[in-house]
Amino acid sequence: MSDNNKWYSLNLGTLKKKSSCSCNSSSGGCSNHSKEKVEDNTTIPDGEHKDGFDQVFDVQMGRRTAFKKLTASLLIGAGAVSSSCSVIADEESKEKAQIDWDEQFKGNYKLMTDGEKKATVDRLVRSYQLRTGKTINMTSENAQEDVLFGYAFNISKCQGYMDCVNACVEENNQDRNSQMQYIRIHEMKDGKGFNFNEADDNYYHEVPAEGHFYMGTQCFHCDNPPCVEVCPVQATWREEDGLVVVDYDWCVGCRYCMAACPYDGRRFNWSAPEVPENEINKNQHYLGNRMRKKGVMEKCTFCVQRSRKGQNPACVEACPTGARIFGNLLDPNSTIRWVLENKKVFRLKEDLGTEPKFWYFMD
Amino acid sequence: MFSQDKPIMMNKNQIYKLLILFVLSVSISCKDSEGEYHSVVDKIEHKSKGYHGVLISSDNLLEGTDLIKITEGEHTFMIPERKGKIKSYSCTECHSKPLNEIRGDHKSKKAHWDIKLAHANTNAMNCATCHNGNDMDNLATITGKKVDFNKSYLLCAQCHSSQFDDWKGGAHGKKVAGWAPPRASMTCVNCHNPHQPHFEKKWPARLNTQKIKERKDQLGH
Repeated sequence: MSDNNKWYSLNLGTLKKKSSCSCNSSSGGCSNHSKEKVEDNTTIPDGEHKDGFDQVFDVQMGRRTAFKKLTASLLIGAGAVSSSCSVIADEESKEKAQIDWDEQFKGNYKLMTDGEKKATVDRLVRSYQLRTGKTINMTSENAQEDVLFGYAFNISKCQGYMDCVNACVEENNQDRNSQMQYIRIHEMKDGKGFNFNEADDNYYHEVPAEGHFYMGTQCFHCDNPPCVEVCPVQATWREEDGLVVVDYDWCVGCRYCMAACPYDGRRFNWSAPEVPENEINKNQHYLGNRMRKKGVMEKCTFCVQRSRKGQNPACVEACPTGARIFGNLLDPNSTIRWVLENKKVFRLKEDLGTEPKFWYFMD
Repeated sequence: MFSQDKPIMMNKNQIYKLLILFVLSVSISCKDSEGEYHSVVDKIEHKSKGYHGVLISSDNLLEGTDLIKITEGEHTFMIPERKGKIKSYSCTECHSKPLNEIRGDHKSKKAHWDIKLAHANTNAMNCATCHNGNDMDNLATITGKKVDFNKSYLLCAQCHSSQFDDWKGGAHGKKVAGWAPPRASMTCVNCHNPHQPHFEKKWPARLNTQKIKERKDQLGH
């Protein structure tokens, strides 16, 4: 089995011919090797290393192990195999079966190389195309160097208009039936402090209401996130730029993270999320707003599909009062840094040591 | 008695060894990347020392927006150009005669009928607080100094000094596009109507009917 494979994949009838080199060197010391590697990365990430059945069969192993592995794989992939080996099935359903197989056995996104990330994104785009006939634009953009995202929320400015919630739902393709929302805006009585028990996060009257103030909560992207700690399968982690993300394909839906979050920042899909086709935001990121499935966790990602392109998260852009400030904490000249250094900022439940990267302040 | 002492001595040795091992392992694990910093503020402070700028830029997002560069205090950033957005600039195209001559003149085109001043009270403000009847193409400070329409924020800053400080730093107002440099911020009049700067009350953009249902169900149980 080739060393850099973290999962099995079935390459039914689409086996790429392995490139051979005249120098017969396996270490990649000859110039031809490195050149081909580069080309592979940009064009077909599939044929990068030993793939498919080769992986399973080109291995020295006992009969017992071989049978064990084959049975396990075949059981899960029975559907895929039957349709892809069938003479009657058309090319498209074969391709679909191939994609389903590869997706079923792919590894954890956190451990993938850039080529593997691109391959899974390409598969997901193609799979969506095969199923709906529509093309989406999905990326696997990595965290940039010298970037650490942070957020500041001005309690004096928020008027409770909830334009942020609308923008968030549309941007992140949240389930319309269950009305899942990442952001909660809490209406709090003046003079009662931050009393979340008495606050109302589902008001419907003209705002701002007399004698009340408003504050928003969402995922705070803690630098020491308890949700990450408790995940039994490492399906959630903190990226280099500080975003706490979820691999929806690796999540097993145990909801430990939901219980561990002291800020009610995580949401669970009790049913398969549905978004009308014409309302789907087609600019997606693997770790962000791509379509989720039933039984997985999701949450605010500071709109990873936007923020890694230099844009502000949808809530920041939609806020009509300028209560939301977003930026790079490592840039000494950024506005977020000015807020942290010049305003009186605080975070929720600071004593827990979760180190949220979401600060509140007042005028 | 003697035979019991010996194993205890050996245990002591082992305990020391274990202690050394424990201290070693703790000191090693402290250098682990996860626990490297005491707090996120320490992390920010330390990591931003070697900040050389980022590859991402807001340039492509700002494309197509007319911007001008301003420097106020220690802050230099861009704000949207204003004069080009005013429908019938320059003002002197209509305001060719002094105001009192135009007023009540039925031959002139009617204009500004929709402007109602709701900004401070009449003791503090009237049209002439910001406009100069003798130089309609420019604004004027309280002391009568000329201010370009593009830099109207200078007029606001005369009274709203704390908001001005927050705006310069970036705590008040919004960015034109993304977070990435170069910084381009909205100016006062991009969000506030200078004649009626107050934000009106309105209904929230949405109501979560599912949440209401779920809470009712919970109460029923």
